[in-house]
Parts: sequence; structure tokens; C-alpha cells
Amino acid sequence: MESLGINYRAIGPELVLTVTGVLVMLLEAFSPGKKVRDGILAAAGIVLAGVAALALWEEGPVTAFSRMVIVDGFRVFFTLVILLGTLLTIFVSWGFLDEERIPPGEYFALLLFGAVGMTLLVAGNDLMILFLALETITIATYVLAGYRREDLRSTESALKYFLLGAFSSAFLLYGIALLYGATRTTNLAEMARVVSGPLGQAEIVLLMAGAAMLLIGFGFKVTTVPFHVWTPDVYEGAPTPVTAFLSTAPKAAGFAAFLRVFSLTFPPLGIESAADQLASHWVAAVTAMSILSMTFGNFIAIAQTNIKRMLAYSSIAHAGYVLIGVLARDWAAVAFYMLVYTIMNLGCFAIVALWARRGDERVLIAEYAGLGFRQPLLSFPLAIFLVSLAGFPGTAGFVAKFWLFKSAWGAGFPELVIIGVLMTVVSVYYYLYVVIVMFFREPKEEVPRVPLSRAFVAAMVVALVGVFYLGLLPTRVFAVLNTAQNLLAIGQR
Amino acid sequence: MKEHLLSWLTFAPTAGALLLLFARVLMGAREETIRRLALALSLVPLGLCVPLLLRFDPMASGPQMVERVPWIRFFGFNVDYFVGVDGLSLWFVVLSALLVTISILASWRAIDQHVLAFHVFLLLLETGLIGVFVALDLFLFFIFWEVMLVPMYFLIGIWGYERRVYAAVKFIIYTMVGSALMLAAIISLYYLNGGTTFDIPAITENVRAGRLVLDPATERWLFWGFALAFLIKVPLFPFHTWLPDAHVEAPTAGSVILAGVLLKMGGYGLLRFNLPLFPQATEEFAGLLCGLAILSIIYGALVSMVQPDLKKLIAYSSVSHMGFVVLGIMARTEMGLQGAIFQMLSHGISTGALFIIVGVLSERRHTRWIAEFGGLARPMPVFSALFGILALASVALPTLSGFVGEFLVLVGTYTSELAHARAYTVLAATAMIFSAAYMLWTLERVLFGEITREENRHLPDVNGRERLTLIPLAVLVIVMGVLPNPILRRTDRAILELKQAVRGAVLVQSEPLGRRAPNPALFGSAAREQAESMRRR
Repeated sequence: MESLGINYRAIGPELVLTVTGVLVMLLEAFSPGKKVRDGILAAAGIVLAGVAALALWEEGPVTAFSRMVIVDGFRVFFTLVILLGTLLTIFVSWGFLDEERIPPGEYFALLLFGAVGMTLLVAGNDLMILFLALETITIATYVLAGYRREDLRSTESALKYFLLGAFSSAFLLYGIALLYGATRTTNLAEMARVVSGPLGQAEIVLLMAGAAMLLIGFGFKVTTVPFHVWTPDVYEGAPTPVTAFLSTAPKAAGFAAFLRVFSLTFPPLGIESAADQLASHWVAAVTAMSILSMTFGNFIAIAQTNIKRMLAYSSIAHAGYVLIGVLARDWAAVAFYMLVYTIMNLGCFAIVALWARRGDERVLIAEYAGLGFRQPLLSFPLAIFLVSLAGFPGTAGFVAKFWLFKSAWGAGFPELVIIGVLMTVVSVYYYLYVVIVMFFREPKEEVPRVPLSRAFVAAMVVALVGVFYLGLLPTRVFAVLNTAQNLLAIGQR
Repeated sequence: MKEHLLSWLTFAPTAGALLLLFARVLMGAREETIRRLALALSLVPLGLCVPLLLRFDPMASGPQMVERVPWIRFFGFNVDYFVGVDGLSLWFVVLSALLVTISILASWRAIDQHVLAFHVFLLLLETGLIGVFVALDLFLFFIFWEVMLVPMYFLIGIWGYERRVYAAVKFIIYTMVGSALMLAAIISLYYLNGGTTFDIPAITENVRAGRLVLDPATERWLFWGFALAFLIKVPLFPFHTWLPDAHVEAPTAGSVILAGVLLKMGGYGLLRFNLPLFPQATEEFAGLLCGLAILSIIYGALVSMVQPDLKKLIAYSSVSHMGFVVLGIMARTEMGLQGAIFQMLSHGISTGALFIIVGVLSERRHTRWIAEFGGLARPMPVFSALFGILALASVALPTLSGFVGEFLVLVGTYTSELAHARAYTVLAATAMIFSAAYMLWTLERVLFGEITREENRHLPDVNGRERLTLIPLAVLVIVMGVLPNPILRRTDRAILELKQAVRGAVLVQSEPLGRRAPNPALFGSAAREQAESMRRR
């Protein structure tokens, strides 16, 4: 029996985030309502967690805590994406906290606890950790989604999220149990070893059923068709900054776990093995999910009149694109895509949140009419983020999609790539529709000027720089991911 | 600066756009200042075309003034910032720079809202246009190809006429469908070529030398992946339906750039990619495309004939004229290819100028209906003379530019190895009669006869600024018609090499590459003399 492997550095980011979260919450209890103090503390905690994550960069794939937690480039990169998403969410929420009179400490603490769950999900090397992390995320996010207590939509959103989240967690847990039955382990590395050889007929059945359950559970979490039905309602009802958070960081974490379990643990080995038998099935299932998500998400988004619902469907469509990367088993492409998606989607939502005003009153696309030249500091960044979401070259959205499609083509999924690029064209229609309304339509009533807070400007600057830096000079980030990928590949061997 | 000439050319407009923004934000520049500044800034790339032309060596093989810097590096994902010009692209770069300057002049009074944004978009568009023509890396090419859509979309959508939103969306969706498939084809080609480079000359050379052999089915798919994007842009019947809307609804500057440069990207793409990369598939589908080209030529001319709207008439005449381009390209003879390039240049100038003519009229009368005019020759003599010259250039009157292009295409088609080459030639030639008919009839209805509307009696003639836009173009049309050699001489070399790439190595064996003169048979003694003098140097 190996040692317990207690190594606090290996969970450094999670520790820092937890401590910060508890601290912010305590401060709120003793001297409430200090937004700036709590905000800076939370942001500092996130930055520190980022430093702790970067400190793990050089360490090749090693495990800790009885192999429950893994340290590798994959984890570090996804952790950074999640932390960036959380940090930007703090900026985006700045004005919203005052408008809605929300106790800031409580809100920031919930964000931080959510982030703890997400980073742990990325670090998990054991199905039990994955489940634990998912529950941590969902508890924090349920509360966030229902934050506007007196608003029916928000409450409905939280309740739906809770019920369907619980439902999907049940699937996950059942799946984990079945997989344990099939392989006698919950550890992913161990499981990968077991399934790389042949298994008995009964075990195979258990394995298939367990993996199917797991697929359904993850399908819910990363909002893929046909497990997407909750998404638009939850995204619409939740306060906009929370929607921004929900659509980015937890999704990045969800995809990381998806990759970790399916692409890395059950890869198609090409030899007679349980993994190979399983892979032929999950690849087919994920292909179907990907195609359905891309087509449904994009086509239904066209019909939306509410910008938050439109972005919800767009989010489903993007999940479909990312699944192509999961199929290609190119985790670096997926990680890069999630980084880019986090930046551009948060940028979008930052503007939507600001424009929506108190109580999310102004969220119809028609209400963006005339924004174009009357407030160019809102309209041009929004146009840029939308164009990036649509994947126009010169923006990060293009580079991310290009990489994803390129590696999928190389991995033998040309038909998915062709569907993907065609669906991208469809998406141009609804993304640019917002641009049309902003610039080409005259408003019915006088367009008010919305004051811009400093936090908002900071979020804009970060997101815009991100969109153009990753769109025009992605080499640095590619190189980093490349190194990580190589290290991981060596480690797996 | 010299070794970065092309980068300067490409990015001077972007820098100009930024300067305009600074001028407004930091110095609070007024609209008139913005216009003047934009005009001055657009003269920078136009001025840079002078050293470009001077330094261009018509005898040299392959791309010139090449710049190459590693850009995105990632295993196998080797994208370079790789630009250069050759005979295929040289004139289009010049054309883009010229027409943007002309467009700014032409919209001096027509654009009175959001003046800053208009000029910023126009300059950004110029970067995209020039970028497409100089890019020698597939990835870079695709980026410019797409980037240019966004400013064009805004130009149509914000400053266009009544149905501008519909036209803008139609334009962008059509183009995106084409480019999406091209993207898939690019990725696929990249893998087939070994998954290491997007370098266009290298891939072309691999195909030519037989190192990259595609199986016929794949080649067909890739051919259409690229061709569809280009044929939509050209536009060839039946992919032309976006064009009348976009051209008619766009502001004058937008129409000038659309007709003048954007359509040419389609022809350029066919020349740069489809012919050399997929010679077998080109051979296979040449007949089909020639048929469609003939349809475009005749259909465009017939529809023009019945248009009551002057701008729509010119838009449909573009469909007809661009049909000649596709015909010339698919004939794949030297003359056909030369003719295609020449026709594109000539059409860019004459049609661009005709859109300005329409702009002049609609600024004065706020209508584009032909029936509203008549007898304009009396109040507007200079205008009428210019209109006359440009319209005749468009119908390919000898000694004007349109004639050279269409004549070369017709001869090139006649002498080609296409099945039914003669039938194609005859059919295309009949369309020249149609085009003469609709243009002359239009001239008659607009310029001559009695003045039927009282408002037209005292219309002011073209003013100094308008003359400044139209006269240079009219002069160019005449010069190109009388002295086509300076243009043809510079495209000749690239055409020869392209033809060799298409037709296999027959010509390469008969004469060593480095010593080939421009084809003396082409334009008689003048070209031969020039070739001699070049050799002596």
C-alpha cells in the first residue's frame, strides 16, 4: 500500500481559495457591506491561487493524497481559466451588487466556494473527488442563481437549476457506482489500467451502463443537447453577472472532467480491450451529442428575442463545438477554446449586465436599438465580442475554432468539422443581428447613457486585450499548452 | 523601409484608421478635417504603389518583395506572416489603393452622418483588400478574406439606402457560406500536404512537381470547396443573387469597392488556387463553369436591359462582365488568362466609375430611375462626356479598356482546347451586342433627347471634386485601351508560369525557365522590343 501522499502544495490553489472565501464571509459577518474591501480581498485571493497554480506548472504528472488529486499541465491550465473567469465575474458584478443591495461579502464568498469546487473538479483523479467537487460547485451556484429573492424569474431559475442539477448528480453517482462495480476502483488512473485489458462479460455490461450514466451526468453539466433543456430558463432567470459566471467557469471545469474521464481514461486504444469496446460507443454517443448541440443551439438561437436566452443557446452551440475537441481527444485545443470562450462570453455578459439595469429590465435584443453610435464604448466592444463568438478571423474566437476543427480533421472527424463550419455560418446570423439592431436601427425612445464603473472598464480592457492577443498572437499560449501536452503524454506512458 | 514595402502598403490604412480615431478623440477634429485627413491618409498607400511598380521586375519568377516572419508556431501549426506580389496580384493591389482614394472623394458630400466611422471602416477595408492580394500563406489569406467582410458589412448596413439591412445580411451570409467551405478545404489541404505548412507557393510547387498527388474524389471536393467561395464572390450565375442587392443598397463608395475590388477577389482566387492546385478537377469542371459563365454573360446583359433603375442596371452588367472573367480563366490559354486579369482591372475601373456617375445623379435628384432623366447633355456637358466614355468602355468599344479584356478572352477561348470552344466564343460574343444595346439605350435615355423634367433643366454640372474622381478614371480607361502593354507585360510572366503549372511540364522542358521572355506573339512588336531591351539589361 502506498503512502497517503499528503502534499498541501498539490492543493494549493484550492486551499488559498477556501481560506479567502471563509475570510471574506467572516468579515461580512462582523463589518457588513464593505464592497471594495471584500472585492479586493477576493480578487487578491484569486490572484494568489493563480500563483499557487502556476507554481505547480513545472511538476510533471504527479499525484497526491492517495492518488486522489493529480498535478499536471492540464489541471494548471484549466485552473487558470477558471480563476480568470471568476476574477472577471467579480468585476462584472461590481455595479450589480449596489443596485440589488446584495451583501457583497456573501456574494464573493459564494463565487470563491464555487471556484474551489471547479478547480477541485479539474484536479480530481478519482471519481469520488469529481463528485465531491461537482456538488460543491452546484451548491454555490444554486444560491447565486436565486440571488434576486423577490424576483420570480430568479427563483424559478434557481429551483430549475437545483432540481435538474440534483437529477444529473444522481445519474453521475449511479454511474460511478456501476463503474466501481465493473473495475473495483474509483481511481481514474487505476481504472484506465484495468480497462486497457479485456474484462468479463458482466463487467463489460456494468462498464457500459456506468459510462452511459456518467455521460448523461456530464451532458447536463456542460449543457449539451439533449440534456440542455434547463439552460435557457436558468440563464435567463439568473441575475446577469451570475449567468456570465455560470456559462463560463463551471463549463470549463465540466469539460475538463469530461475530458479526464472519457478522453484520457477510456481512450480508443485500437487493441482488444474493454476501453476500446467502450470507446466505440461513447464516441458515437458524443458525436451525436455534438451534432445535435451545434444544430439545435444555433438554429434555436436565431429565434430568440431575449439576448440572455440567445446567449444561452449560443452557449449550447459552443458546447457542441467543444465536444468535437473532446472526440479528437486534443485536450489542449479544448482548454484553449474554453479560455477564449470564457473571455469573450464574459465580455458579452459584462455589457449585457450593464445595459440590463436593475432587475434585468432591459434584456430584449430590440432594446439595443440605437446603442451603436450613442454609446460607442458599449456597442463596439459588444460587437467585437459577438464577432469573436461568431469566429471571425483576427479574433480569438477564430483561432480557437480553427485549432479545434484542425485537430478534429486530423483525428478523422471531417464530417463533424464540415457541420461545425456550416453551423458557424448560421451563428453569424444571430450574432450579427444584435449588431444590426445596435447600429442600423433607430431607437423608439431616447437612449439613456449608462455610466461606466471602473471595474467594468477593467473587465472590458482585460477581455478586449484577451480577444485580440489570442486572436493575433496566440503563439505563446500555444507553446505553453504544447509543453503541457507533451509532459502529460510522457507521464501517461 | 524598402524591404517592408508590402507591409507598409497593407497596414498604412490601418494606421490611418487609428490616426483618425486619435484625431477625433484627442484633438476633437471636425468632420471636414476628418474627411481631408482621411483623403491624405489614403494617398499614402496609393503613393506607395509607385515604388511597388518601379521595383516590380516583370521578368522575375515567383513572388517578389517577399516578407516572411514566423507568426503562429505550434506543432504543425506553422503560420507565417508571408506576403509578396507577383504578376497575378500586382495590379489588384494598385487598383485597391486607387479605388479607396477615389471612394473617399466620391463620398465627400454624400456621407454626412458618422463621418469618422465611415472613413475608419473604409480604411480598415483597404487593409483587408490589399492583404488578400499580397498574402502568400493560406491562413493569412483566409484571415484577410474574412476580415474585410466586417467593414463592408457596416458600410452597407449603416450608410446604405432603404433596404440596406437586408442587403448587408444577405451579403455576409452568402460570403460566409462560401468561406466556411473554403476553410474546411484549407484544413483538409493542409493535412494532405503533410500537415506542416500553409505556404501557398510551396504547396503549389508540390502539386506541380507531383509531390502532392490528390486522388480524384478528394481533388473534386477541394476544388469545389475553394471554387464555391470564389464563384459566389465573382459572382457567377446562379450564385449572383446577393450582388444586385448589395450593389444597389450600398452607398456609392461601397458600390465602387464592391464592384471594383471585391468581385475581383473571386477571379483572383480561382487563378491563385483552383487552377494550379487542382488542375485535374479544373479540367473536369471547366466545361460546366464555362457554361455557367456564358449563362452569366447573357443573363446579366438581358436583365440589365430591362432595369428601370440605373444602379441596378450597372449591378447586373457586372454579372455579365464578370462572366467573361470566368470564361477566360477556364479557357486556360495565355490569352484567356491575360484577358481575364485585364477584364477584371478594366471592369473595376469602368464600373467603379459608373457607380460614381450614378452617385452624382442621385445626389442631385435623389432618384436613380432612368425615366426621371433625359437630355442631361445640355445642362451637364462634362458629366455627359465622362458618362459616355465610361459607358462605352464598359461595352468594350475598341480603343477603350473593356475591349482589350473581352477581346483577349474571346480569342483565348476560341483557341483553347475546351470542347465546344467555338460555341462558347460565339455565344459570349453575342452578349457584347446585348451589352452595347443596353448601354447605348441607357445613354440615350439619360443624356440625349428632350429634357422631360423641369428639375433637370438646371442641374449643375460636375464640380471640381467630382471631376477629380471621374477624370482620372476616364483617362485610365482610355490609356488602358490604347496602351495595354505596360499592364500585360507585368502579368505575362505569372500567367506563363500558371499555365505551365496547369498544363504540366511541357513548356518547362522546351525552354529553360530563367530565360523566357514575355510571350512575343501576344502583342506584336511592342512586347518583343520590350523583351529585347529587358534581356539586354
